[in-house]
Amino acid sequence: MLTTVSLSLLVQALVNGLLLGLVYTLISLGLSLTLGIMGVVNVAHSTLIMLGSYLALELLQRLGLDPIISAVIAVPVFFLIGVLLERLLISRVARTSQTTGLLVLFGVLVVIEGAAILRWTTDTQVLSVSYTNTSLTLDGIAIAVPRLIAAAIALVLVLLLDTFLRSTLYGKAIRAMSQNLDAARISGIDTDRLSLLVFGLATATAGVGGVTLAMIFPFDPQDHYRWLAWAFLVVVIGGLGSIRNTLLAGLLIGLIETLSSVLFPFQYVYFIVYLLLVVALLVRGQGLAGSQSRAL
Amino acid sequence: MSSALLERATARTRWRSWLYRGLGAAAAVGLLAVLGVLIPLDWVTTLSAVYMYIVLAEGWNILGGYAGYLNFGMVTFFGVGAYTAGVLCTQYNVHPLLTIPLAGIMATVAALLVGVPALRLRGVYFAILTLIISFLTQVLVTNLDITGGASGIYMPSLPFDPFTNEQIFYYAFLGLMLLAVLLAFIIEHSRFGYALVAIREDEDPAEILGVRTTWLKTQALLLGAFLAGVAGAIYAFHTSYIEPQGTFSLDISIDVVLMSLVGGLGTWQGPVIGVPLMLVTAQVLRILAGELPFFGSTLPPEFDRVVFGIILILVALLAPYGVMGLVRRVRGRRLTV
Repeated sequence: MLTTVSLSLLVQALVNGLLLGLVYTLISLGLSLTLGIMGVVNVAHSTLIMLGSYLALELLQRLGLDPIISAVIAVPVFFLIGVLLERLLISRVARTSQTTGLLVLFGVLVVIEGAAILRWTTDTQVLSVSYTNTSLTLDGIAIAVPRLIAAAIALVLVLLLDTFLRSTLYGKAIRAMSQNLDAARISGIDTDRLSLLVFGLATATAGVGGVTLAMIFPFDPQDHYRWLAWAFLVVVIGGLGSIRNTLLAGLLIGLIETLSSVLFPFQYVYFIVYLLLVVALLVRGQGLAGSQSRAL
Repeated sequence: MSSALLERATARTRWRSWLYRGLGAAAAVGLLAVLGVLIPLDWVTTLSAVYMYIVLAEGWNILGGYAGYLNFGMVTFFGVGAYTAGVLCTQYNVHPLLTIPLAGIMATVAALLVGVPALRLRGVYFAILTLIISFLTQVLVTNLDITGGASGIYMPSLPFDPFTNEQIFYYAFLGLMLLAVLLAFIIEHSRFGYALVAIREDEDPAEILGVRTTWLKTQALLLGAFLAGVAGAIYAFHTSYIEPQGTFSLDISIDVVLMSLVGGLGTWQGPVIGVPLMLVTAQVLRILAGELPFFGSTLPPEFDRVVFGIILILVALLAPYGVMGLVRRVRGRRLTV
């Protein structure tokens, strides 16, 4: 099979994989942040991604806004949604048992998915703008323009978040919180308020992630489980507490996806990623929770 | 009064209370058995669905309720059972009655394959793993030749008139439900059940005190999977057509969790209360859907999922022990912590 795959096709798959990997990093960052810093396993994360895709669709259909602008609009909109979710549900859940938190977030997933089906039906949607079907060709390697733009947006957001967590006082406080919640609280860090900020940021990355995914893939209200699996895989492989490791893991998953879709029929991509996730969870799942004994 | 006399007196009241309970249970079973021939066809079908979900919920409850390990992929074992019956019956000409226990065994084997590695994980990671495994199984079944792929399997139908058919399935699900409820009752009052509760309350001390946690959790998963597998096989013959999207639907997994939760996690009565409650709610919502206004038109029937999600959130936050928790609080004697 491999012999029929030409070299340029392989290079194209590599480039596409890396671009896709940047988007996967973006959609995984929120999951990694909430788990690493707040100890919350947000299974509803992928429904927020899905809402991001529909925000882009609505803005395009109603106001004719380009998805690039929608990505900027998604940041405050989803930050607010995240803040509301944190205040209403997550802050209550964080103090209760592990199972309660999981059940509540599963409820959130069911509600958002159900509401999305009511509003947008189960039809598959695509974002079509002027550059949707265009591509750049370099040395026989074709790169789809929407994918390039989506990857650029993802890269900008990942870098911004990384800088924020590294160089600002808020970022420092958030990192302190992830290392030791009680010690952070004793040192005078307002962990409740920071949780609000963290969950808002995580939701904002999910929203923008949804916009960028919508530029690349068709979407419907029910296929978000795929992104839940992909994001979990990135988080489990990349571990918690380092955006750079998340980035490496995201790029790796992007490469695995495009390379396996070159080698195998399309539906096997799902099979491979699910299987990888099962293996990764078995090997690393508990280790991930190791420092997070209060993990939700 | 001497203590011996007192003891005999309390023994007698206890014996009498057990007698009453036994009589009550026998009367309830008798009533349900008679209902099968008395009520109209669509009610027979509805009650069959109630019994089927009670079986699934009781099976889920063994590990999920008593031991606190949330399995978000219960549909895996249900689907494996349904497909075992389908494949054996249509491809290998195994007698349909024989495929039902075989489906239970196959689901148990699947649980063993999943459970032995998965039960090393705790809490949320176990839940996520079971969820992913149900997706994985669905993808596998959709792409295998033996399972008929996405087009599914047509099951052979029973050689009777439709009403008799429905009654046969009614009694099949009723019998299986009684078995499941009895099993849950026995487990709840056995050392096995107490050990599972100890795992839920705090796993490490339980292990230190000599509870063989991994083995007990595996047993709990296997028992639940067997029940789900048998239920899946009977379901397959009942619906007469199985395909991967519906048979491995995540909705089944979520409904089972929700129904157990609403009734009360870790009690044998929980599923018996929660399942009819939620199925009646779903039915009422479906009737309401055609009538309530919604953005200029009537409310679409799919809105029951949204209501179910809200119920899931509210119950988990406000009444984590479900109806049974409320009952026990009212009675003032909460048995579980």
